[in-house]
Amino acid sequence: MDDDEVLRVARAMGLTRLEPEHLMQLAQSLEAARRLGQQLPGDLHWSEEPAMVFRVAPPDPERAS
Amino acid sequence: MTDLGFLGLADAGELIRARKLSPVELTSALLARIARLDPLVHAFVRVTPELALAAAREAEREIMAGNWRGPLHGVPFGLKDIIDCKGLPTTAHSKLLIDNVPNEDAFVAARLKAAGSVLLGKLATHEFAIGGPSFDLPWPPAVNPWGRNLFPGGSSSGSGVALAAGLLPVALGTDTGGSVRNPASLCGITGMKPTYGLVSRRGVLPLATSLDHVGPMTRGVRDNALLLDLIAGHDAADAASVRRAPERFSANIDAGVKGLKIGLVRHFYAEDMQADCEQSAAIEAAAEVLRGLGASVREMRLAPLDDYATCCRIILRAEAFAVHRRWLAERPADYGALARQRLLDGAVVSAADYIDAQRLRARLIRQTDLAFTGFDAALTVSGMDPACAIDDAEATARSYPRQARQPFNVTGQPALVVPAGFTGDGRPLSLQLIGQPFTEAKLYRIAFAYEQATGWLARHPPGV
Repeated sequence: MDDDEVLRVARAMGLTRLEPEHLMQLAQSLEAARRLGQQLPGDLHWSEEPAMVFRVAPPDPERAS
Repeated sequence: MTDLGFLGLADAGELIRARKLSPVELTSALLARIARLDPLVHAFVRVTPELALAAAREAEREIMAGNWRGPLHGVPFGLKDIIDCKGLPTTAHSKLLIDNVPNEDAFVAARLKAAGSVLLGKLATHEFAIGGPSFDLPWPPAVNPWGRNLFPGGSSSGSGVALAAGLLPVALGTDTGGSVRNPASLCGITGMKPTYGLVSRRGVLPLATSLDHVGPMTRGVRDNALLLDLIAGHDAADAASVRRAPERFSANIDAGVKGLKIGLVRHFYAEDMQADCEQSAAIEAAAEVLRGLGASVREMRLAPLDDYATCCRIILRAEAFAVHRRWLAERPADYGALARQRLLDGAVVSAADYIDAQRLRARLIRQTDLAFTGFDAALTVSGMDPACAIDDAEATARSYPRQARQPFNVTGQPALVVPAGFTGDGRPLSLQLIGQPFTEAKLYRIAFAYEQATGWLARHPPGV
């Protein structure tokens, strides 16, 4: 990824005040994120959803009395 | 009397209760040690001698009047500087928050104050608990007292260093990817990452909320359990806080290990990674000690370390960026280089990867739970290596992935690190015990039996 592309990524993320050395760091981050994503198992299925569980609060004994 | 610098919480509390030790005497002795030694080890970002002496005098008045509050009454403590204490800056060791003064205590700070404990000051951390040992921040990094040029681990580095150097008996740290247990390992002290949700994080700067824990740090195991007795508890203001009956984790600590079934997770340090040979030998020796005490120790297999590490890194990076994105947008130059790099890493984690990492997390939790069936606890390494040089940036960076702590941030299980000996050149070695959720008391029981059988606690760093 060249410098202009890194700059475009930074702007798209709202990181408009990054200095040249920070943009070099962001370029390293892009590469690190790509590598890390590739390390995820390939067999993850949508059925293995991270569940959002909703619970009704237990009755408040003080209010009940 | 024992050197006051290395007097533990239980012993200090008992002497104070019996009026054989004055909280003012203890606090003054520790402040004198801090004045002498902290310029060498940099454990504190802020020492609060006037506040400490005032709190110690108040504790003394109460105790002399017959109003002893409990084992922490009059005992000094320190807080990692991402934990709020009303009226004192919480800096996160960063230029960004140098003037950040909270107007409330964190839940855990309030618990310690209510117990009559005496705050000595705020302790060094890696910047925002993520940065690493950095030399471009307003304060220098903490240095391991076991060697003047040794890395103490992090991010709760000041907490580990202050305990190892005998500057205080009680400290709190936080653990998102191992940050209580890493300094505990490298500084030769005891650190507990409790079950996720057991200790409230209200008033603690977040790093990655689904992985963040507050944990007790002490030199010995009994002290650690006493501290957890105090800080555990439900808090409606922490969304992850668990509502459960209060428990005394220290109650059966001396019940021994006879009949307990312990799984040895050898593949973490012998297949998935190759640990330093002295560190792996220390784990094998610990397994023998526990067998000798009557426990059954046999091999346990969990998922490969890489699976947990990938999962933890993706979640941690993404959640940390969510916390920091406004500061990164407005004041990127005010971060140290290491923290900025690690936080930018989270800027470019895709939403799909984050969701897949959460899917992987659910799978790993199921697999780990299944593997623990029939076991009371697991034994393995904390880190693969003893402490390296603090000014060797490559060595410290290399040390972070060479660890087995992240799995239990992913699963939320309790994990306890205790000293397990020393290398030939005098650097601390450690072991890690892991339990099923809410089995902290059992981990303390195993660790205490091991500690009593081995006596590693008696050794202190040279020159302190």
